[in-house]
Amino acid sequence: MNKNEPPILEVRNVSIRFGGVAALTRVSLSIWPGEVVALVGDNGAGKSTLVKTISGIQSPDEGEILVSGAALSLKSPHDANAAGIQTVYQDLAICDNLDTVQNLFLGREYYHPWYKGRRLDRAGMEARAKEVLANLDVKIRDINVPANSLSGGQRQSVAICRSILTDPRVVLLDEPTAALGVAQRKQVLNLIERLRAQGRAVIVISHDLGDVQQVADRVVVLRLGNKVAEVSRGSYTREELVGAITGMISNEEMAALSRREGVSHV
Amino acid sequence: MSKQLSAFTTFANPAPQETPKMKLDAVLGALATRYRMLPVLLALVLIWAYFAWANPLFLSPRNLSNLSLQIVTTGIVALGLMFVLVIGEIDLSVAATGAVSAAITAGMAVNQGFDTVTAVAVGLLIGAAIGCVQGLVITYFRAPAFIVTLGTSLILQGILLDLLPASSNLISLVGQPLGKVATIYLPGLVSVALLAVVIALGLVFSLQSYAAKKRNALPASFLWSVVAPAVSLAIVGTVVIAVFSSYRGVPLLVAFLLGLLGFFAYVTTQTRFGVYLYAIGANAEAARRAGISVKFLRVTAFTLTGIFAALGGMIAAGRVLGVSPDSADTTLLLEAIAAAVIGGVSLFGGRGSVWAALTGALVIGSVSNGMLLINASTQTRLEVQGAILTLAVILDAYLSRKANRGR
Ligand SMILES: Nc1ncnc2c1ncn2[C@@H]1O[C@H](COP(=O)(O)OP(=O)(O)OP(=O)(O)O)[C@@H](O)[C@H]1O
Ligand SMILES: [Mg+2]
Repeated sequence: MNKNEPPILEVRNVSIRFGGVAALTRVSLSIWPGEVVALVGDNGAGKSTLVKTISGIQSPDEGEILVSGAALSLKSPHDANAAGIQTVYQDLAICDNLDTVQNLFLGREYYHPWYKGRRLDRAGMEARAKEVLANLDVKIRDINVPANSLSGGQRQSVAICRSILTDPRVVLLDEPTAALGVAQRKQVLNLIERLRAQGRAVIVISHDLGDVQQVADRVVVLRLGNKVAEVSRGSYTREELVGAITGMISNEEMAALSRREGVSHV
Repeated sequence: MSKQLSAFTTFANPAPQETPKMKLDAVLGALATRYRMLPVLLALVLIWAYFAWANPLFLSPRNLSNLSLQIVTTGIVALGLMFVLVIGEIDLSVAATGAVSAAITAGMAVNQGFDTVTAVAVGLLIGAAIGCVQGLVITYFRAPAFIVTLGTSLILQGILLDLLPASSNLISLVGQPLGKVATIYLPGLVSVALLAVVIALGLVFSLQSYAAKKRNALPASFLWSVVAPAVSLAIVGTVVIAVFSSYRGVPLLVAFLLGLLGFFAYVTTQTRFGVYLYAIGANAEAARRAGISVKFLRVTAFTLTGIFAALGGMIAAGRVLGVSPDSADTTLLLEAIAAAVIGGVSLFGGRGSVWAALTGALVIGSVSNGMLLINASTQTRLEVQGAILTLAVILDAYLSRKANRGR
């Protein structure tokens, strides 16, 4: 990761209000290729709102979003996808009545040219689906049956596979390991590491601090819509992180924590 | 807390046992989706068996020919309704839309001397415009479709009265080309040729799929994916043509309905447009996040419903040889909704195929036709039709719950 280059994604002073609730207040965040940044915070801290802003679902009231140093206005998920940003949402974006292949390719189906009736290239999608699922070691007995027969873990896996189908530069994961069994959780963490190895930037929301410590290069702590700390791998303890999340440590301590560098603590 | 627990329970129950209840759920889930046609076809077989037993005339070619003509209007309007039902909306204005479009078409053809093709095209455009406006209102004002289309229906019934001549309240289609479409029957040779074209088209598509599967190293059975569908289509088609031919031949309108169904079966299952409609019906938010233009598709669905309503209205007018205030009565609306639901289109959105319009209309049509043949009273007819619709809705609600248990 070369920090002399502009970050692949930068959020600058973004604020969002929902009526009386300040969901985000002047939040900034940068991420470089090949980096995993974890977003942590209590329920309602604004994590999902921040992710929705980056993925074009929610326009910020103030502030801007830059991709490779250029300010972009992300008015729709389509704009975000075009800028190389893909998102896996907390509330699963799976259609129960569509099968695994249709869910994987929803919105970017392969299809034949007009002189072949614009017919969907089902076989092409099925083959690519099998490849992607096998790559990430996701096991689904029959990819041709509606998703209502999949387990929660399988649905999450499909959602993640869906996000990397288009080879994005930035992947946003909103609580990807919530509600997963041990084996599938480990699989998702491995998958995140694989994404990093491929040079993608990954932003992951998680409530599981064990997962965060294992996988994140940097941790950004949100509380009540404010960014209260940003710490690098190995420069914090789990207790300090809990303190930052819950507000049990003072602002001065928090600032000191954010300035700390390197691998001194474990 | 619950997150740690979930990790723990995974250890505690390494492999969930497949209980009989889970198997039953899986079967019901499949019944709600892939095999949704089964209960309808079963009901149809029972209904036909009963009426054939009660009155052998029921299965006579002449009666089957009449029955099939009777269901064309319901089938076309139900096909149109299917588009809005699949995205989880409803359109209660179809009968009124059809009547107004038919009144305009008939007025142009009869009173203003336009040629029939122009008049029909304008009528279809009117239907499209009505559907489109309703779709826009529902999409952009986020008004409930139920009320918007009910209100529109009342407005259109008023407009219909304005359109009809004050003196007679009727535009007659006697002697008009429109009044004759229902009496056109295809010669046997033409029917066979059409069947051959359809089978050839089917073969092109199934061979294309088969080749693509082989190319992508996916399992594919030539026998089951190419030979079997073509052979069964040929057999069913031949039987149908034989039955019709022993009366007057395949009615043009019936061939037209089958053609429409075939075309839109392709559109809904083989194109992105179709997949997107189903996706919106199941999870509109997921569809939106996938970059699908949900608003545009919603308006398109209502527009299509309007076009089919207009088409149904014109055909109904052609069959009864005129447009009158009765053209907008609610029987057609209720029968079309009933047909779609009985055929397996879910009122909860996201489920149901184009063929539901045919099977559902056949169930409804067979019951009314058969009841007349056995001289059942109007009371009994209404009671039986109402009971069938209610059963269909109960089945829909039950299967939808089973299908969504994953949530
Ligand atoms: N669409 C909305 N309308 C009104 N308020 C909202 C909306 N979305 C979020 N909020 C509010 O904004 C705040 C931040 O919510 P957000 O979903 O971003 O939290 P979170 O950090 O993701 O929480 P969790 O850990 O529970 O997922 C909360 O107070 C929430 O109630
Ligand atoms: Mg959240």
